[in-house]
Amino acid sequence: MAIVLHDLTKIYNQDTDFPITAVDAVSLTIGAGDFVAVMGPSGSGKTTLLNMMGGIDRPTSGSVSIDEVDITGLADKDLVAFRRDNIGFIFQDFSLLPVLTAEENVEFVMQLQGHSASECARRAQELLREVGLEDRMDTVPAKLSGGQQQRVAVARALAPRPKFVLADEPTANLDAETTHGLLDLMQRMNENKGITFIFSTHDPRVIARARRVIVFEDGHVTEDRRQ
Amino acid sequence: MIVRLAWRNVWRNPLRSGIMIASMVFGLLGCLFMVGFVEGFTASMLENAIRDQTAHLQIHHPDFLLNEDLAAWIPDAEELAEKIRRTDGVQGVAVRQVVDGMMASAASSRGVRINGVDAEHEALVTGVADRIVEGGGLTDDARRPILISRRSARRLNLRVGSKLVATFSDLHGEVTGAAFRISGLFETPASGFDETNLFVRRNDLADLTQLTQANEIVIRLRDGSQLDAISPRVRELIGGGAVLRDWGEIQPVLKAMLGSMATSNRILISIFVLALGFGIVNAMLMSVFERTREFGVLRAVGMTRPRVLALIVLESTFLGGIGGGLGVLVSAAAVAVVGRLGLPLGAMAEGLGSFGADAVLYPSVPAATYAMVLALVGVISVFAALYPARHTLKKRTSEMLAERH
Repeated sequence: MAIVLHDLTKIYNQDTDFPITAVDAVSLTIGAGDFVAVMGPSGSGKTTLLNMMGGIDRPTSGSVSIDEVDITGLADKDLVAFRRDNIGFIFQDFSLLPVLTAEENVEFVMQLQGHSASECARRAQELLREVGLEDRMDTVPAKLSGGQQQRVAVARALAPRPKFVLADEPTANLDAETTHGLLDLMQRMNENKGITFIFSTHDPRVIARARRVIVFEDGHVTEDRRQ
Repeated sequence: MIVRLAWRNVWRNPLRSGIMIASMVFGLLGCLFMVGFVEGFTASMLENAIRDQTAHLQIHHPDFLLNEDLAAWIPDAEELAEKIRRTDGVQGVAVRQVVDGMMASAASSRGVRINGVDAEHEALVTGVADRIVEGGGLTDDARRPILISRRSARRLNLRVGSKLVATFSDLHGEVTGAAFRISGLFETPASGFDETNLFVRRNDLADLTQLTQANEIVIRLRDGSQLDAISPRVRELIGGGAVLRDWGEIQPVLKAMLGSMATSNRILISIFVLALGFGIVNAMLMSVFERTREFGVLRAVGMTRPRVLALIVLESTFLGGIGGGLGVLVSAAAVAVVGRLGLPLGAMAEGLGSFGADAVLYPSVPAATYAMVLALVGVISVFAALYPARHTLKKRTSEMLAERH
């Protein structure tokens, strides 16, 4: 499964005297099973790029194709369904639902897909065991550490069996040890299950683990290297 | 899962939800208690008016309704009354002779309606016999006994055993009258009725008016709610020689007052529920706006706009449902307790006496009113969710995710 960005542009405040070009005619192809870090300084447009790749935001021009499906042309309802079934999201602040337990947070996305309650529970427990939280399944996020919450977020991202996972600065709020543990986990998922991971980050620990690093500055790709 | 999520979101900020629910409970308690007070007041007015004054139905000669002429008597009134007594649902029928006149003591005189009644039948129709507070009723053995109200007795400076002169016109238009001895004093909650009515034996009155016939038949039903069913049957018995009127036609002002009180109750409830809706909107606005990013996450992971809307509406409905449900329960309990014990009106009773209400009110709220309040709260809760939901859902997912809260 490949993600193809073609001439992707995002301009904010387009109809005003001060338009801001966050992403400027970016063309990229990210292959299936890759482990990619998009790095750059704050305000460089990383998050905007990831949002458009994930169908969260629509480009001003250009296109995003995933598995040859041009998601920029999808109607809102179809885009939501595509996102739900194909893309996993991990956020910097974990963004778990605070009123649900770890297991319920993971189940929730699968329930949106229409799976049965027993199927959701079975898979949620399996994923939480995989991320090492088998003893915290019934715990609400507020009673989990940052690292544990991000592990739940990883399990939630993987729950709908996505084709790729977009992670927006996933280690920004974690200490070094927790960061390494989380990266080990995601690397294992990438290698064992072939899930494509794309990170936006300026964390050198993440960049060091990435197989491909895309440097992004002022809305442009200034460097694209494999390591 | 959406239902579970919505329910838990309601309790996410227990203090805020608790305050909102408490305000709904106390607000509904006040509103429904006021409604119960008005309902109890109107029920008391109606019950007393039917019991002491009008009964459920009255029959008169058509001309009597124009000028209350003594000559406008009901043909074969006793025979007709006997037929009506045999009608299902009729508790009692009293045949009266009534005439307008004056009552006078050495101290003063007043205009009054003189009711010539047959005590035995009258007791089944009106409650005046039960309202005697001093002395006794119209017994057969006394010479020209008369029942007047305690209010009239005070004004005329009379007491039980005193003589009172009643004057009026006889059948031929000649002024006549006689001295009556006060056998008892009655007191009803309606001060106006008390001051303008007295009761004598029908035979005593007939001797003086020289009219052997009756000019009023008064009918009391066992169950007032059967009025519409029984009236046509009574009307059939009457034929065309007399007019049948129900209490609402006899006292149109009372009927209009009851109707306007029912309307004012509905307006009161509507205004309160609307105000309650604004409270829910406020709570939901705070709750939804502080979770904009969370809704962005829900949208990102695949929750459609209708599902997010459903989540917000459910939260609002739960909040309104808990507040409304508890409010109705607490109100129903409070109204039931006070409705059983009664609410003494104290100094207010004298003023309310002119409306014919009792000095002790028994608030009551019909079950249909509780159901209406619950339904209105449910509807307003749904509407209260729409503005916060629309405000949030019109944002793009990326905008929602960019929010700091």
